This record gives sequence, structure tokens and C-alpha cells, in this order.
Amino acid sequence: MSGAAMRRAAVCVAGCLLAFSARADDDARAWIERMSESLATRNYDGLFTHSTGRQAETMRIVHRVDKGKSLERLVSLDGSGREIVRTSEEVHAYLPDRRVVIVEPRGDDGSLLKSLPTPGPALDRYYELAVGPQGSRLLGREVRVIDVRPKDIYRYGYRLWLDEETAMPLQSVVTNGIGNPIEVIRFTQLQMKDKIPARDIEPTVDATGFQWVRTGRKVAAMPQLPSNGGWRPLRLPPGFRLVASRLQPIPGSPMPAQHLIFSDGIAAISVFIEPGSQTGPRPPETSSMGSANAYSTSVHGHVVTAIGEVPAATVREIANSVVPVQGSDVPADSPASSAR
Amino acid sequence: MTDQIREQLSALLDGELPRDEMDLLMRRLEKDPELRRTFGSYALIGETLRAPGGRVAPPSFAARVTAAIGDSPASVEKASTTRAVSVAQQPQHVALWKRPMVRTALAASVAATAVLLFRPDVAPIAQLEVTPANSFAMSASPTPAQSQRLAGYMVAHSQFSTPMVRRNVLSSLLAADPGITRVSYEMGEAR
Amino acid sequence: MQAMPNFPPSDESMKSREPGDDDAGLPAGTEQSDLELVRRAQQNERGAFDLLVLKYQHKVIKLVARLLRDPTEAEDVAQEAFVKAYRALGSFRGDSAFYTWLYRIAVNTARNSIASRQRRPLDYEAELSESEQNNVAARLKHDDTPEATVLSEEIRQTVNAAIEQLPEDLRTAIVLREIEGLSYEEIATTMDCPVGTVRSRIFRAREAIDRALKPLID
Repeated sequence: MSGAAMRRAAVCVAGCLLAFSARADDDARAWIERMSESLATRNYDGLFTHSTGRQAETMRIVHRVDKGKSLERLVSLDGSGREIVRTSEEVHAYLPDRRVVIVEPRGDDGSLLKSLPTPGPALDRYYELAVGPQGSRLLGREVRVIDVRPKDIYRYGYRLWLDEETAMPLQSVVTNGIGNPIEVIRFTQLQMKDKIPARDIEPTVDATGFQWVRTGRKVAAMPQLPSNGGWRPLRLPPGFRLVASRLQPIPGSPMPAQHLIFSDGIAAISVFIEPGSQTGPRPPETSSMGSANAYSTSVHGHVVTAIGEVPAATVREIANSVVPVQGSDVPADSPASSAR
Repeated sequence: MTDQIREQLSALLDGELPRDEMDLLMRRLEKDPELRRTFGSYALIGETLRAPGGRVAPPSFAARVTAAIGDSPASVEKASTTRAVSVAQQPQHVALWKRPMVRTALAASVAATAVLLFRPDVAPIAQLEVTPANSFAMSASPTPAQSQRLAGYMVAHSQFSTPMVRRNVLSSLLAADPGITRVSYEMGEAR
Repeated sequence: MQAMPNFPPSDESMKSREPGDDDAGLPAGTEQSDLELVRRAQQNERGAFDLLVLKYQHKVIKLVARLLRDPTEAEDVAQEAFVKAYRALGSFRGDSAFYTWLYRIAVNTARNSIASRQRRPLDYEAELSESEQNNVAARLKHDDTPEATVLSEEIRQTVNAAIEQLPEDLRTAIVLREIEGLSYEEIATTMDCPVGTVRSRIFRAREAIDRALKPLID
């Protein structure tokens, strides 16, 4: 692309971004659905950079659909060296820096409630969706810019550059409440393929001598627990609904954790309630990984952790509001047992 | 004059040196170890910016490789001198740097690191904001068991992320070491 | 049937990437430049391979250190990988990027080094009890020797501090180049200045950072 043409495009897009069309809401939703479908159903192999305020890393993603199942492998190429592989049954997270492999069963087969809501009509109560005009370009491809702006401070915003032809997100930026970017994912190379060989989904980390931490086994042998969880957060940002509830076995512990999943159609928040910590009382803890934040606190000798793609204040509020409900394992004479 | 040569080195590293300038530069490089060192340093700068952390090559490394290859008489001669010296230094890695170790404020440097993004197709994005939790990172190091617990939660959670954000969640897991900080929640949220 | 879209748009001079290539997303122009150096090395031009070593030594050592059980062996194994690459240079056809090829050699060299040293594969699954977890925590090796870790941290801080102090035009230029991976032409368009100015700014940025780094690594 010539220098002059690039400059023209830059000026045009910069101007156009100031005037997103209002009727674009439906269009934006359609684009997001197209994108989700592409991400889930197509075969592709690409390199992308993942940037946060701290550093930028190059990663590779290989996605393969086999017998209706989505398989993929992500690997950090020049940073942590970590690798995540989703096979048909499990998710393996290889952490060479810790010489550990974490194994989880795939959630799509274990949840007690049905699948996540796709962005439904209620979405625009919480997010403002807009799609930019045609004519933007990124890396030599025609793209549409989709804006997903949160209407309150409990959520993050997203800006997506979707390939016109495939709806693949060539670039995506997560923004905070004031619109500042906190995480950028940008493809530097992407190949859509007819076929991906099975070996491309195989891990490349040599895990010899690594510790395998499996949490997925022995679920059947767990003692009986109320299957819908004995805990509930009292406070949730508007629009977040319970979409799944399951038991998360904890290595080395006979009691599993409750795992509640809430979603507003765009972001998801998990709440884990784990039986009393043997390592002693834990003060409040906060951590963040890219655009995901986690907050842990203790409630009646249980450890409650909220984790999700939302601001730190949100997970903190939620974790702090978790209470046991009637009939759960909290003693009858404790103050909490009279909570709603 | 030397500035011009080093500028060519810089362009060579970026793959932007015209071929006709390469010949002379290559001849110079072959003769001048300081130029080679500079080239290596420029490469290290890029590596550090893109992916900091992890082991780095000691200054003598490239010369060791050349010696092991037995490339040409001239460079072997130079290399073997360096090699002899570096072998003697081998047991004392501390000798690699001369400045005394200074206790550093890691938290400050983490918060201060900014990545400038400036794309031709959008208005300039001044800085990637460091989320509030980050500014307290490193104040206490998590035990491996805690990091692992959190990583396990992240993996379990990622299964339920919407497709739109799942890649963000998984890449965050790949990139970050889940840093756990101990913060009383009053201090928690700067905005 | 319409051809599957690929990008960056293919170009005669660019080789297509094969599945399984782990090209670590290197900046634009690198591949061409590497191929040129490889070509010269294949023709026995002195110093050409040395430049490739200088360029990739840190990446390879870092990679190998992560794969080995004992990271202090990283330098020896990395050296072995480069020597192997040199000896195999004749068979490198440019079907993939040079670094992709080197990366595979480095990974294989590291794997072979592990295989030749260990007595029996340690690949077990364990449900950890609390006490076992504590033992594991003690046994888990963190990245590397204290010296190596401190050095890489000092390097990182020195580079960051030096970047912060650069005048804005130099800083922007080098960040666009090293982190965004833009070519000089693209940077020139972005910063609205001639290509020659871009080349000069990037050079001056590197000079300044190099000056700060020199006392650290000598």
C-alpha cells in the first residue's frame, strides 16, 4: 500500500471513528456472532502479540475442528514458554517456569446448566455496541471496527478489528472504564486452512519431570453435596446471571470447591468457594493477569475467590458479598445462616 | 564516520540495509570486534523490549561458537584468546557485571513501564494502562502453591468465557505469572 | 472455490509458512535480512554466520534454558545448537524462516541433551496432599541461578530506564520498530517523516540504550 494511500486511510479512519452510526447496534451484534462462529468453527494457525502495560509477548494459536469439537493449542513463543492445549476431553496448561502441568476436564461436558447465552437483546442495557463504516484496513486486510462500550464501571470495554471476509478478530483491545487500553491482542500472521494436521495441536513443551496436577478425577467419589451450591453472592453487577454451576475438585482435598459461573453475555465471572484453608487464615488477596482479575477473601472459614474479565473492583465486590444460603453446611447458630 | 557505520549496523539488524552497503559493512565487521559487540547489543535491546526476563548470552558466547566451528584462521585466533579468558572466568559468574548490586524498587519500575502504541489506522493510544492491582504487584511473592491454585482456577474459568474473550483469558494465563498481592481492600482501587 | 485468505498478503519474495513453523513473530524485514546472511554464509563469507549468532544468541539461550532441567547448561547446549546449525547450513533451503529452522534445531538439541542424561523418564501423575505440596514448593526450581536472574532483571530495568529518558521521537521510533514490528516505510508514514529520519532515530535510540547497557555487560 503506498505511503499516500496509507495516510489517506489513516486520516479517514481517524475521522470516521468519531462518527459511528447509531443503527449499527444490530450490525455490531451480527458481527460479534460471526466472529464467535469463526473462532469456534474454522481451522486456523496464527501468530499474535499479547501486550499489557508490562510487556509484549508473541504467541501462536492453532485451532482445529475435529468431529464437531473445537481443539486448540496456544503457546508463548518468546516469553514464558507456557503452552495450553485443549484436547477433546481435557485442557492441559504446561507451565515450564514452574515445571507443572495443570489438567482440567473440558467444561463443555461438565456443567449442570446449559450453555452460555449468546449476546441477547438485553445486552444493550449494559453495553453500547457500534460498528464502524467500511474501509478500514489492518495488515493489508479490509476490517470492520466494532466497539463494545460498557455502560457502567463494572465491566470492561472491547474494540475489535474484524476481518471483513472471515470476521476473525485481527486485533482486539480491552479498555477500562475511562476508555484506556489495558490489553492488546494483535495477529501478525494468520492462515485460515482447510485442514490442520493433528500433530500441530500436540504440545511442544518437553514435560519430562514435570508435576502433573490433575483435578478432574474422582468426581464420582466425592461426598454428597447440594448440586446447586450452598453459596451465593448477594451483589452482582446488573445483567450478570448464573449460567453454570459445578464442582471443582481440589487436588489433595476430599471436598471439592463450588464453582459458580455468571455472565452478562460478554464477560464471565467465576466464583469458587473452597472449604476452609488448611494453610491458615488468608488476608484479602488481589491479582491480575492481563484483563482478568481475581480476588480472594475468607468467609466462615471458607476461601471465596472471584475471577473474571472485569475490573478488580467488580471481583472484589462480588467475593465480599458471597454468603452461604439456608441449608448449607454453615452451623445454624452463626449469623450468616439467617442471611437471604 | 563510525556513527555512520553503526547506523548501518542498526539498519542491518532491521533488515533495512541496501545490499550494496552490506558488502563493505560485512568486511568491517569481520575485522572489528567492537562492531560485533555493538550488533549483539542492539539485538539484546530488541529482545529485552519484546520479551524481558530469562537467561541472556554472556559477551563471550558468539566468539565461543565461532571457535567451535573453526571458521577461519583470523577469527579463530581472536576467538581463542577470548575463549581462554572466558574459560578462566567461567566459575565466577558474578564477574559478569561490575556495578555493585543495588536494591531496586521493582514495584516502581513495573508500574512505570509503558508501552507506546501508535497505529496508522487509529488515533494514538498514549499508554497501556496498568490496572490498579498491578501497581501493587511484587509486594509479596506468591507461593508456588497459591500461583498454581490460581492458574487452576483460571483454566477452569476459561472454559466458560465467551468466545470473544476466551483468547484474552488464555493468553493472559500464558503471559503472566499470577502475582498475588496482599492488600487491604481499602487501599485497593485507585481510579 | 475461493482460496482461503491468508495474510500478510503473499509476495513473491516472501516464502510461505508451513504448519509447524514456530517463527517467533519477528519484526518485518528480518526474514529477508536473515536469508541474505545465510546465503553469504553458505558461500563461506566470513562473519556472516557470526552475525546470525549475535542476533539470536539470547533467544536461543533463553529457549534452551527453559527446556533443560539444569539451566546452567544452557550455554553449552546453545553453543551445540549453533554449531549444528552451521554444519547443516548447506541443506537449509529457505523454505522456512531462518529462525524457525534454528528454533527447531535448538529444541531438538535440548531434548537430546536431556535424553542422554536422564536415567528413566519421570512422567507421573500425582494428587498432592497438603504436606506433599509443601515439599514440592521447596523442590520446584525457580527460573535460574540468582546471578542470572538478577542480571536479566538489571538489563530489563536499564533498558526501560534508558527508553524512558529518550526524546519522544526516538522512543516512538524504536518502540514502533521493536515492539510493533513496523518496517521503516511504515514507521515513516506513521511518524510523517522520511525513511532516512526513521533509520537515524532508531539508530540514535539504540546508541543511547547501548551506552547505558555497556557497563552492565562487560
